[in-house]
Amino acid sequence: MAVAQTKQEKEGEDCSLLPLVHDIIKCMDKDSQDVHQELAKLKAKIQEAREQISAMPGIDSSPAEQQQQLATLREQVRTKNQLLQKYKSLCMFDVPKAS
Amino acid sequence: AVCSMAVAEKSTKERLLCALDNLEVLARELIEMLALSRGQKLPQPGEDTQVLELLVQRDRDFQDLMEVAQQQGKVHQEMQLLEKEVEKRDSDIQQLQKQLKEAEHILATAVYQAKEKLKSIDKARKGSISSEEIIKYAHRISASNAVCAPLNWVPGDPRRPYPTDLEMRSGMLGHMANLPTNGVNGHLPGDALAAGRLPDVLTPQYPWQSADVSVGMLPPHHGNDFGLEPPGHNKENEDDVEAMSTDSSSSSSDSD
Repeated sequence: MAVAQTKQEKEGEDCSLLPLVHDIIKCMDKDSQDVHQELAKLKAKIQEAREQISAMPGIDSSPAEQQQQLATLREQVRTKNQLLQKYKSLCMFDVPKAS
Repeated sequence: AVCSMAVAEKSTKERLLCALDNLEVLARELIEMLALSRGQKLPQPGEDTQVLELLVQRDRDFQDLMEVAQQQGKVHQEMQLLEKEVEKRDSDIQQLQKQLKEAEHILATAVYQAKEKLKSIDKARKGSISSEEIIKYAHRISASNAVCAPLNWVPGDPRRPYPTDLEMRSGMLGHMANLPTNGVNGHLPGDALAAGRLPDVLTPQYPWQSADVSVGMLPPHHGNDFGLEPPGHNKENEDDVEAMSTDSSSSSSDSD
Protein backbone atom coordinates (compact mmCIF):
# COMPACT_ATOMS: atom_id res chain seq x y z
CA MET A 1 0.00 0.00 0.00
CA ALA A 2 1.03 3.59 -0.62
CA VAL A 3 0.74 4.45 3.09
CA ALA A 4 3.18 1.67 3.98
CA GLN A 5 5.65 2.87 1.37
CA THR A 6 5.38 6.39 2.65
CA LYS A 7 6.02 5.15 6.13
CA GLN A 8 9.24 3.53 4.94
CA GLU A 9 10.30 6.73 3.23
CA LYS A 10 9.55 8.94 6.19
CA GLU A 11 11.11 6.65 8.73
CA GLY A 12 13.11 8.56 11.21
CA GLU A 13 11.26 11.82 10.66
CA ASP A 14 9.31 12.43 13.82
CA CYS A 15 7.11 15.20 12.50
CA SER A 16 5.34 13.12 9.86
CA LEU A 17 1.72 12.28 10.57
CA LEU A 18 1.61 9.41 8.08
CA PRO A 19 2.77 6.63 10.43
CA LEU A 20 -0.06 7.46 12.82
CA VAL A 21 -2.59 7.61 9.97
CA HIS A 22 -1.25 4.27 8.80
CA ASP A 23 -1.72 2.77 12.29
CA ILE A 24 -5.30 4.04 12.38
CA ILE A 25 -6.09 2.49 8.98
CA LYS A 26 -4.55 -0.79 10.11
CA CYS A 27 -6.72 -0.80 13.23
CA MET A 28 -9.78 -0.05 11.09
CA ASP A 29 -8.88 -2.93 8.78
CA LYS A 30 -8.70 -5.23 11.77
CA ASP A 31 -11.80 -3.69 13.31
CA SER A 32 -9.68 -3.25 16.39
CA GLN A 33 -10.87 -1.26 19.39
CA ASP A 34 -7.47 0.41 19.49
CA VAL A 35 -8.62 2.76 16.77
CA HIS A 36 -9.81 5.32 19.35
CA GLN A 37 -6.48 5.20 21.05
CA GLU A 38 -4.70 5.71 17.74
CA LEU A 39 -7.01 8.61 16.90
CA ALA A 40 -6.14 10.22 20.24
CA LYS A 41 -2.46 9.73 19.44
CA LEU A 42 -2.93 11.53 16.13
CA LYS A 43 -4.71 14.41 17.85
CA ALA A 44 -1.97 14.64 20.47
CA LYS A 45 0.67 14.53 17.76
CA ILE A 46 -0.97 17.38 15.88
CA GLN A 47 -1.25 19.45 19.08
CA GLU A 48 2.35 18.72 19.91
CA ALA A 49 3.40 19.81 16.43
CA ARG A 50 1.46 23.07 16.85
CA GLU A 51 3.23 23.80 20.13
CA GLN A 52 6.56 22.91 18.61
CA ILE A 53 5.94 25.28 15.71
CA SER A 54 4.94 28.08 18.07
CA ALA A 55 8.13 27.62 20.06
CA MET A 56 10.47 27.44 17.07
CA PRO A 57 12.84 30.40 16.92
CA GLY A 58 13.39 32.49 13.84
CA ILE A 59 10.29 31.52 11.86
CA ASP A 60 8.34 34.72 12.39
CA SER A 61 9.47 35.89 8.99
CA SER A 62 9.76 34.28 5.61
CA PRO A 63 13.16 32.90 4.58
CA ALA A 64 13.61 35.78 2.13
CA GLU A 65 12.89 38.39 4.80
CA GLN A 66 15.17 36.61 7.20
CA GLN A 67 17.98 36.58 4.66
CA GLN A 68 17.48 40.29 4.18
CA GLN A 69 17.67 40.88 7.93
CA LEU A 70 20.78 38.73 8.09
CA ALA A 71 22.39 40.73 5.30
CA THR A 72 21.49 43.97 7.07
CA LEU A 73 23.05 42.74 10.30
CA ARG A 74 26.21 41.62 8.52
CA GLU A 75 26.41 45.00 6.85
CA GLN A 76 26.00 46.73 10.22
CA VAL A 77 28.80 44.71 11.78
CA ARG A 78 31.00 45.39 8.76
CA THR A 79 30.32 49.14 8.84
CA LYS A 80 30.91 49.39 12.57
CA ASN A 81 34.12 47.39 12.28
CA GLN A 82 35.29 49.68 9.53
CA LEU A 83 34.45 52.74 11.59
CA LEU A 84 36.37 51.42 14.57
CA GLN A 85 39.34 50.50 12.40
CA LYS A 86 39.27 53.95 10.86
CA TYR A 87 39.30 55.65 14.26
CA LYS A 88 42.01 53.35 15.55
CA SER A 89 44.29 53.98 12.60
CA LEU A 90 43.52 57.68 12.46
CA CYS A 91 46.52 59.74 13.52
CA MET A 92 44.89 63.06 14.08
CA PHE A 93 47.29 64.27 16.74
CA ASP A 94 50.40 64.69 14.63
CA VAL A 95 52.93 66.61 16.64
CA PRO A 96 54.10 69.56 14.57
CA LYS A 97 57.84 69.54 14.02
CA ALA A 98 59.64 72.27 15.86
CA SER A 99 61.02 74.68 13.29
CA ALA B 1 -6.85 27.32 -0.30
CA VAL B 2 -6.59 30.30 2.08
CA CYS B 3 -3.27 29.04 3.34
CA SER B 4 -1.77 28.81 -0.10
CA MET B 5 -2.44 32.46 -0.85
CA ALA B 6 0.42 34.92 -0.86
CA VAL B 7 2.90 32.33 0.30
CA ALA B 8 5.89 34.57 -0.22
CA GLU B 9 4.55 37.23 2.17
CA LYS B 10 3.69 34.80 4.95
CA SER B 11 5.96 33.88 7.75
CA THR B 12 7.18 30.32 7.93
CA LYS B 13 5.29 29.87 11.18
CA GLU B 14 1.99 30.76 9.56
CA ARG B 15 2.69 28.48 6.63
CA LEU B 16 3.57 25.61 8.94
CA LEU B 17 0.41 26.04 10.99
CA CYS B 18 -1.64 26.21 7.78
CA ALA B 19 0.04 23.08 6.46
CA LEU B 20 -0.65 21.33 9.72
CA ASP B 21 -4.32 22.37 9.61
CA ASN B 22 -4.54 21.04 6.04
CA LEU B 23 -2.96 17.78 7.09
CA GLU B 24 -5.39 17.42 9.97
CA VAL B 25 -8.35 18.06 7.68
CA LEU B 26 -7.12 15.61 5.06
CA ALA B 27 -6.35 12.91 7.63
CA ARG B 28 -9.81 13.31 9.15
CA GLU B 29 -11.40 13.22 5.70
CA LEU B 30 -9.51 10.05 4.76
CA ILE B 31 -10.35 8.29 8.02
CA GLU B 32 -14.02 9.26 7.76
CA MET B 33 -14.09 8.11 4.15
CA LEU B 34 -12.55 4.77 5.03
CA ALA B 35 -14.85 4.28 8.03
CA LEU B 36 -17.84 5.03 5.84
CA SER B 37 -16.72 2.64 3.11
CA ARG B 38 -16.08 -0.08 5.74
CA GLY B 39 -19.59 0.43 7.15
CA GLN B 40 -21.25 0.28 3.78
CA LYS B 41 -18.94 -2.49 2.72
CA LEU B 42 -18.66 -0.68 -0.62
CA PRO B 43 -15.16 -0.02 -1.71
CA GLN B 44 -14.64 3.35 -3.40
CA PRO B 45 -11.14 2.96 -4.69
CA GLY B 46 -10.98 6.22 -6.64
CA GLU B 47 -11.78 8.87 -4.00
CA ASP B 48 -9.84 7.58 -1.02
CA THR B 49 -6.75 7.05 -3.16
CA GLN B 50 -6.96 10.67 -4.28
CA VAL B 51 -7.31 11.90 -0.74
CA LEU B 52 -4.48 9.63 0.35
CA GLU B 53 -2.17 10.94 -2.36
CA LEU B 54 -3.06 14.48 -1.41
CA LEU B 55 -2.34 13.66 2.24
CA VAL B 56 1.05 12.18 1.32
CA GLN B 57 1.81 15.23 -0.79
CA ARG B 58 0.82 17.67 1.97
CA ASP B 59 2.78 15.65 4.49
CA ARG B 60 5.87 15.92 2.28
CA ASP B 61 5.32 19.65 1.93
CA PHE B 62 5.00 19.88 5.68
CA GLN B 63 8.28 18.00 6.11
CA ASP B 64 9.99 20.32 3.66
CA LEU B 65 8.60 23.33 5.46
CA MET B 66 9.83 21.94 8.77
CA GLU B 67 13.25 21.59 7.17
CA VAL B 68 13.07 25.24 6.11
CA ALA B 69 12.05 26.16 9.66
CA GLN B 70 15.04 24.25 11.06
CA GLN B 71 17.33 26.16 8.71
CA GLN B 72 15.71 29.42 9.74
CA GLY B 73 16.36 28.47 13.34
CA LYS B 74 20.06 28.14 12.54
CA VAL B 75 20.05 31.45 10.71
CA HIS B 76 18.29 32.93 13.73
CA GLN B 77 21.15 31.75 15.94
CA GLU B 78 23.64 33.36 13.59
CA MET B 79 21.60 36.56 13.67
CA GLN B 80 21.63 36.56 17.45
CA LEU B 81 25.41 36.26 17.39
CA LEU B 82 25.58 39.11 14.92
CA GLU B 83 23.28 41.22 17.09
CA LYS B 84 25.59 40.64 20.03
CA GLU B 85 28.48 41.67 17.84
CA VAL B 86 26.65 44.83 16.82
CA GLU B 87 25.94 45.63 20.47
CA LYS B 88 29.59 45.14 21.33
CA ARG B 89 30.68 47.36 18.47
CA ASP B 90 28.14 49.97 19.52
CA SER B 91 29.50 50.07 23.03
CA ASP B 92 33.06 50.27 21.64
CA ILE B 93 32.05 53.17 19.44
CA GLN B 94 30.34 54.91 22.32
CA GLN B 95 33.40 54.44 24.47
CA LEU B 96 35.57 55.87 21.72
CA GLN B 97 33.19 58.76 21.26
CA LYS B 98 33.36 59.49 24.97
CA GLN B 99 37.15 59.46 24.88
CA LEU B 100 37.20 61.72 21.85
CA LYS B 101 34.87 64.15 23.62
CA GLU B 102 37.20 64.18 26.62
CA ALA B 103 40.18 64.75 24.37
CA GLU B 104 38.35 67.54 22.61
CA HIS B 105 37.61 69.19 25.93
CA ILE B 106 41.22 68.90 27.07
CA LEU B 107 42.49 70.22 23.76
CA ALA B 108 39.99 73.08 23.75
CA THR B 109 41.18 74.09 27.21
CA ALA B 110 44.80 73.83 26.13
CA VAL B 111 44.16 75.87 23.01
CA TYR B 112 42.33 78.53 25.02
CA GLN B 113 45.19 78.74 27.50
CA ALA B 114 47.74 78.88 24.70
CA LYS B 115 45.82 81.67 23.03
CA GLU B 116 45.72 83.59 26.28
CA LYS B 117 49.45 83.09 26.63
CA LEU B 118 50.04 84.27 23.08
CA LYS B 119 47.92 87.32 23.78
CA SER B 120 49.97 88.19 26.82
CA ILE B 121 53.19 87.54 24.89
CA ASP B 122 51.96 89.83 22.15
CA LYS B 123 50.98 92.45 24.69
CA ALA B 124 54.36 92.19 26.37
CA ARG B 125 56.09 92.54 23.00
CA LYS B 126 54.14 95.64 22.11
CA GLY B 127 54.99 97.34 25.38
CA SER B 128 58.45 95.88 25.56
CA ILE B 129 61.01 97.59 27.72
CA SER B 130 64.56 96.50 28.17
CA SER B 131 65.62 95.16 31.52
CA GLU B 132 68.48 97.62 31.47
CA GLU B 133 66.02 100.49 31.37
CA ILE B 134 64.14 99.11 34.32
CA ILE B 135 67.33 98.74 36.30
CA LYS B 136 68.31 102.28 35.41
CA TYR B 137 64.96 103.51 36.53
CA ALA B 138 65.21 101.58 39.78
CA HIS B 139 68.58 103.15 40.37
CA ARG B 140 67.23 106.57 39.66
CA ILE B 141 64.46 106.16 42.14
CA SER B 142 66.63 104.70 44.85
CA ALA B 143 69.56 107.10 44.31
CA SER B 144 67.35 110.04 45.13
CA ASN B 145 66.23 108.41 48.36
CA ALA B 146 62.77 108.12 46.93
CA VAL B 147 62.04 104.68 48.32
CA CYS B 148 64.32 104.44 51.32
CA ALA B 149 65.91 107.03 53.57
CA PRO B 150 69.72 107.03 53.85
CA LEU B 151 71.15 104.92 56.67
CA ASN B 152 72.38 107.91 58.59
CA TRP B 153 69.14 109.78 58.31
CA VAL B 154 68.12 111.91 61.27
CA PRO B 155 65.06 114.06 61.74
CA GLY B 156 65.33 117.18 59.69
CA ASP B 157 67.33 115.55 56.92
CA PRO B 158 65.53 116.39 53.67
CA ARG B 159 66.79 113.20 51.99
CA ARG B 160 63.87 111.01 52.63
CA PRO B 161 61.44 108.74 50.81
CA TYR B 162 58.54 110.22 48.94
CA PRO B 163 56.46 112.13 49.44
CA THR B 164 58.63 114.92 50.74
CA ASP B 165 57.32 118.19 51.87
CA LEU B 166 58.01 119.54 48.41
CA GLU B 167 55.98 116.89 46.67
CA MET B 168 53.16 117.32 49.12
CA ARG B 169 53.11 121.01 48.39
CA SER B 170 53.36 120.67 44.66
CA GLY B 171 50.59 118.07 44.61
CA MET B 172 46.87 118.64 44.36
CA LEU B 173 46.36 118.68 48.10
CA GLY B 174 49.02 121.34 48.53
CA HIS B 175 47.40 123.56 45.95
CA MET B 176 43.96 123.04 47.42
CA ALA B 177 45.17 124.09 50.85
CA ASN B 178 46.78 127.10 49.21
CA LEU B 179 49.51 127.03 51.74
CA PRO B 180 51.93 129.92 51.94
CA THR B 181 55.27 128.99 50.49
CA ASN B 182 57.51 130.95 52.83
CA GLY B 183 58.24 130.95 56.52
CA VAL B 184 56.67 127.63 57.24
CA ASN B 185 58.66 124.68 58.42
CA GLY B 186 55.90 122.28 57.64
CA HIS B 187 55.85 119.14 59.66
CA LEU B 188 59.56 118.76 60.20
CA PRO B 189 60.47 118.39 63.84
CA GLY B 190 61.09 121.92 64.99
CA ASP B 191 62.74 120.96 68.28
CA ALA B 192 65.68 119.38 66.51
CA LEU B 193 66.14 122.51 64.48
CA ALA B 194 65.74 124.74 67.50
CA ALA B 195 68.30 122.79 69.49
CA GLY B 196 70.79 123.21 66.64
CA ARG B 197 71.87 119.61 66.94
CA LEU B 198 72.01 119.00 63.26
CA PRO B 199 75.33 119.22 61.47
CA ASP B 200 75.66 122.05 59.01
CA VAL B 201 75.31 119.76 56.08
CA LEU B 202 72.06 118.36 57.32
CA THR B 203 70.57 121.62 58.36
CA PRO B 204 67.25 121.70 56.60
CA GLN B 205 67.33 124.00 53.73
CA TYR B 206 64.11 123.65 51.90
CA PRO B 207 63.94 124.38 48.26
CA TRP B 208 60.86 126.47 48.68
CA GLN B 209 62.70 128.67 51.16
CA SER B 210 65.47 129.60 48.83
CA ALA B 211 66.05 128.55 45.28
CA ASP B 212 69.80 129.07 45.57
CA VAL B 213 70.22 126.76 48.54
CA SER B 214 68.14 123.99 47.06
CA VAL B 215 70.42 123.51 44.13
CA GLY B 216 73.12 121.87 46.15
CA MET B 217 70.85 119.84 48.39
CA LEU B 218 68.36 118.08 46.27
CA PRO B 219 69.00 115.89 43.31
CA PRO B 220 68.33 117.72 40.10
CA HIS B 221 64.73 117.58 38.89
CA HIS B 222 63.66 116.19 42.19
CA GLY B 223 60.17 117.38 41.52
CA ASN B 224 59.97 115.42 38.33
CA ASP B 225 60.72 112.15 40.07
CA PHE B 226 57.58 112.44 42.07
CA GLY B 227 55.59 111.96 38.93
CA LEU B 228 57.53 108.79 38.06
CA GLU B 229 57.71 109.55 34.40
CA PRO B 230 59.11 106.78 32.32
CA PRO B 231 62.80 106.93 31.68
CA GLY B 232 63.90 108.91 28.71
CA HIS B 233 61.22 111.47 29.34
CA ASN B 234 63.59 114.30 28.70
CA LYS B 235 67.20 114.90 28.05
CA GLU B 236 68.07 115.78 31.61
CA ASN B 237 66.67 112.52 32.87
CA GLU B 238 68.61 110.57 30.35
CA ASP B 239 71.83 112.11 31.49
CA ASP B 240 70.93 111.41 35.05
CA VAL B 241 70.09 107.82 34.28
CA GLU B 242 73.29 107.39 32.37
CA ALA B 243 75.29 108.59 35.33
CA MET B 244 73.50 106.22 37.69
CA SER B 245 73.75 103.37 35.30
CA THR B 246 77.46 103.83 35.32
CA ASP B 247 77.36 103.75 39.07
CA SER B 248 75.30 100.63 39.16
CA SER B 249 77.43 98.85 36.64
CA SER B 250 80.51 99.68 38.60
CA SER B 251 78.88 98.58 41.83
CA SER B 252 77.60 95.39 40.33
CA SER B 253 81.00 94.60 38.92
CA ASP B 254 82.43 95.22 42.36
CA SER B 255 80.06 92.75 43.90
CA ASP B 256 81.07 90.18 41.38
